[in-house]
Amino acid sequence: MTTPAQQIADVFVELSGGSAGAPLEAPELLATLVRYGPELLGVHAVGTVAAVDARAEPQVAGSEDGAQLLKREALKWAEGPGTEARNSGRPIPCVALDGQAAMRRWPRYTSRALELGYTRAAAFPLRTRERPVGALVLLGSPADAPMSEETGALAQALADFTALALIREHELQESRTLSGQLEHALVSRVIIEQAKGVLANSCGLTMDGAFALLRGHARAHRRLLSDVAHDVVEGRLRLDGGDNGLT
Amino acid sequence: MDTGSSPGDPGGAWQRAVRALERAARAEALAERYERLALESGNTRHAELAANHRRSAACHRSSARLQKTFAQQLMSLTGPQDTQPLFMSVVAEACGTDSAALTLVGSDQSQLAVAASDKGSRAAQDLEYVLGEGPGTDAAAGRHRVSATGLDIEQRWPAYGPAVTALGFGEVIAVPLKTPDGCLGSLAVFDPRPGAATNTVFADVTQGLVQTMLLGPDADPELYGGTDHRDAVHQAAGMVSVQEHCPVGDALALIKARAYADGVPVNEMAERIVSGAFRLA
Repeated sequence: MTTPAQQIADVFVELSGGSAGAPLEAPELLATLVRYGPELLGVHAVGTVAAVDARAEPQVAGSEDGAQLLKREALKWAEGPGTEARNSGRPIPCVALDGQAAMRRWPRYTSRALELGYTRAAAFPLRTRERPVGALVLLGSPADAPMSEETGALAQALADFTALALIREHELQESRTLSGQLEHALVSRVIIEQAKGVLANSCGLTMDGAFALLRGHARAHRRLLSDVAHDVVEGRLRLDGGDNGLT
Repeated sequence: MDTGSSPGDPGGAWQRAVRALERAARAEALAERYERLALESGNTRHAELAANHRRSAACHRSSARLQKTFAQQLMSLTGPQDTQPLFMSVVAEACGTDSAALTLVGSDQSQLAVAASDKGSRAAQDLEYVLGEGPGTDAAAGRHRVSATGLDIEQRWPAYGPAVTALGFGEVIAVPLKTPDGCLGSLAVFDPRPGAATNTVFADVTQGLVQTMLLGPDADPELYGGTDHRDAVHQAAGMVSVQEHCPVGDALALIKARAYADGVPVNEMAERIVSGAFRLA
């Protein structure tokens, strides 16, 4: 099988976020991989599983319902070529699913795959710098031509590229979360100090007294200190030192 | 966010140095692996990855150096009468100067916290705060390096420029504190020694600051107690907003303007207002 270079290049561009260049989030990325996978690789169907964060639930995608179902069950049973490629970080070359060896190796996986009409499978790890984060599984039907070495090389390149994109996206999300937390902490401090000033002046309190009033109100109303402070500064909430701020 | 390490304890800085070195070693091992792969396969993606890991290792090494120098300074203190070393002075030294100022900004570019290495950089930072213009502001907003010398400083920032050159500074360089898709603020250095403030040095120092001190599992945005949140200024702004029946943003502008007009540092002006010794209007 030969795939025109232009077509291959287009798929890599799509995986990098298309012409807009905005990185795809994990589900879109996997959906893109399985959407273009079968045609590009000349196989009946493809499935993929990935989890960048080892503690998170792995995500699955399939180019058709059968492939998606098989992927989900493989995950549940911890069986099949994708599971092995993902654990070992090494590709699993094309395996005949109706052969004895495959049936012994993955009993539940092979019988379900055959039921769904897949007679051959190959798997490629989504490799990253430290560990594999998932796998790309190629599923063949009896009507497909045999998988060539070229197909394998292209599949591994796609898998690696997807893994890189997943990692980059994960780092981006993490950095956004951390930046957001830092900004939130700094902004909260500013607004709380401003609210202390407002209360100190309007209620004739010291800064410590103003803070106690603010905190007392937040506790009594089970609200975040910074939210109460915000309301005080914006003039939406008037606290009075005398009545414990319940007005 | 770990704000637990006390300013006087070198242990925290040593630990950060050790962890940064471990990260650097990991990044270097990965870089070597990808360099070998790139040689074998001729794949340019492997070469790119190797280069990325080399960059990352350089940042961690730079960060480890900052932490180590700071820990050594803390350990060389002989008595309680010694003044506490500032983490920012270590940052300044790494950039080849005595005067460096760090500014953290919000998504709306407003200043949220500051830190400076010495009196001069602190004064320059105050000018930028009260006048609302300057190299740090431009670097953070534009997310690019800003540099100016001599007359160029005065022309570029009509209010800030003449004031900062009057402090005796002849050169300023400011760089953004970039994250993968954002910016936390800026680092400004004044009068660096010739040839010291290269782009590579800045890239290593700012990324080391972002990855080790500001974000991440090891972060201490308090910079070992050296970060100033301008608490008194915000308290005073709250008070003035009540006194003048105006929004707190306007009150802040009034305080800045008054501090500048009276030639008083803005924090000092704020403390006078908070203590009741001074009332605007």
